[in-house]
Amino acid sequence: MSAPIPTIAQAAKQIAAKQLSPVELTQACLERVEAFDSRLHAFIHLTEERALAEARAAEAAIMANGPSGPLHGIPIGLKDIVDTKGIPTTCQSKLLQDNVPDSDATCAEKLAAAGTVLIGKLTTHEFADGGPSFDLPWPPARNPWNTEHFTAGSSSGTGAAVASGMILCGIGTDTGGSIRGPAALCGIAGLKPTYGLVSRAGVAPAAFSLDHIGPMAWNAEDCAIMLQTLAGHDPRDPASASRPVPDYSAALGSGIKGLKIGVIHHFHETDHKVSTGTQHGITAAIATFRELGAEIREVQLSPLQDWVACGSLISIVERAAAYEEWARTRLAEFGERMRSRLMLSAFISGVDYLQAVRRRRELRAELKAAMAELDVVLTAVLPGEAPKIDAVPKWDLFQQPSFMMPFNVAGYPAMSICSGFGAGGLPVAIQVVGKPFQEATVLRIADAFEKATPFRDRRPNVT
Amino acid sequence: MPIRITEEAFDYLIARAGLTLTDAEKAELKTVCDGIAAMAERVRKPRGRMAEPALTYGFADEDL
Repeated sequence: MSAPIPTIAQAAKQIAAKQLSPVELTQACLERVEAFDSRLHAFIHLTEERALAEARAAEAAIMANGPSGPLHGIPIGLKDIVDTKGIPTTCQSKLLQDNVPDSDATCAEKLAAAGTVLIGKLTTHEFADGGPSFDLPWPPARNPWNTEHFTAGSSSGTGAAVASGMILCGIGTDTGGSIRGPAALCGIAGLKPTYGLVSRAGVAPAAFSLDHIGPMAWNAEDCAIMLQTLAGHDPRDPASASRPVPDYSAALGSGIKGLKIGVIHHFHETDHKVSTGTQHGITAAIATFRELGAEIREVQLSPLQDWVACGSLISIVERAAAYEEWARTRLAEFGERMRSRLMLSAFISGVDYLQAVRRRRELRAELKAAMAELDVVLTAVLPGEAPKIDAVPKWDLFQQPSFMMPFNVAGYPAMSICSGFGAGGLPVAIQVVGKPFQEATVLRIADAFEKATPFRDRRPNVT
Repeated sequence: MPIRITEEAFDYLIARAGLTLTDAEKAELKTVCDGIAAMAERVRKPRGRMAEPALTYGFADEDL
């Protein structure tokens, strides 16, 4: 497994120049699956035959007419809460163990239309909630940097598969950090777009008003390529935004001189103090942004715990509403962690929920005001490096206020990028948050950081 | 300070939610009820009766 793993941008360039065959690229990914996945458990369902057929079709089309775009012939994976026509979609749950959808989710449809090659369906937490569970039909994904450690979730398989090169990119979903968390702990890039930018149609709900679908890839440039295909209005999603889709790659490489970056110091230094390694990553990132010509300012928001309380109450109630029928009739069939989350809803009244939704409007207004003179804000993604997989607290909801949830509450775009490695040798990350529909700015800043630092040069050595 | 839940209220809320729990699950759940109550207190701010929720309905093109 010594062959270098290309990024999407690199592979696309080689494919267009007919220096790389989509079939060879797909075979290399499948060889990595064969070599690594018995330890990483990133896949629930492999679509090997389909992948090779799609790769051969892509190759033939490219030889005849050239690539249709940068994703043509690129191996991908889909989180297993994304419906795929004729392919099992289990949500990692006993309840849907035999579920085979009869249509594709919009994001799956768009990626297929862009000519991607589907390697398989990726491990998640049950219905994208809870945590690493050992009482489900499939084991939890393992961190490719150290397989005794957690990937974070719930897009756990996507994080592990991208980092180890089993796919070049994948779909994640994010209700309170499920794209950004695994991106952080697996040392890749993950973008939660603005609410409504990417269609949720055909993706199992976790919490309707907090759910986001987005790209996970090795770097910001690849996330921009993916987002270009994923973004856009979809009448199948009632929350889908009707806005023109800009060119997300256009500003990459143009530098960040003069951009204004706010740092929410109190989130990660006071409200929930991060590890030394994570703090070092944030401090060094601020210095890098300053050297690149950005202007750094301090931002003060309501305490992190206020944002987390608001998001958690909404999340618990909306999830319970989505799964109420099964909670009432088949509760024992859920895994322990999902079951526990469903039970919590019994203690949240209708008025509690609506007070949280009123608080949400206030918090969103607060963030809008705080960012009025800024391009992005910056904080932590997670408090430290990946914990051991068997040491993840069941009730982390109460014990570890999330740095990611505020931006689900606000619906603002937020991205995790690798900012170095901690004392344990595992990745740490920073979170870059933009204004609504300003993903191009977030990606531009993330790309500039990645190109100014050496952290994209190192891949995990899966053992 | 949030009010501590009584045994009767706990059983009523679980029954009202239609959940069938084991004794072990009930015991564990009781240890985190206060956390939920604390969150519910946190979202209550002096805001008056006119403050709108974030999801106040608006007609989208598809609704017309």
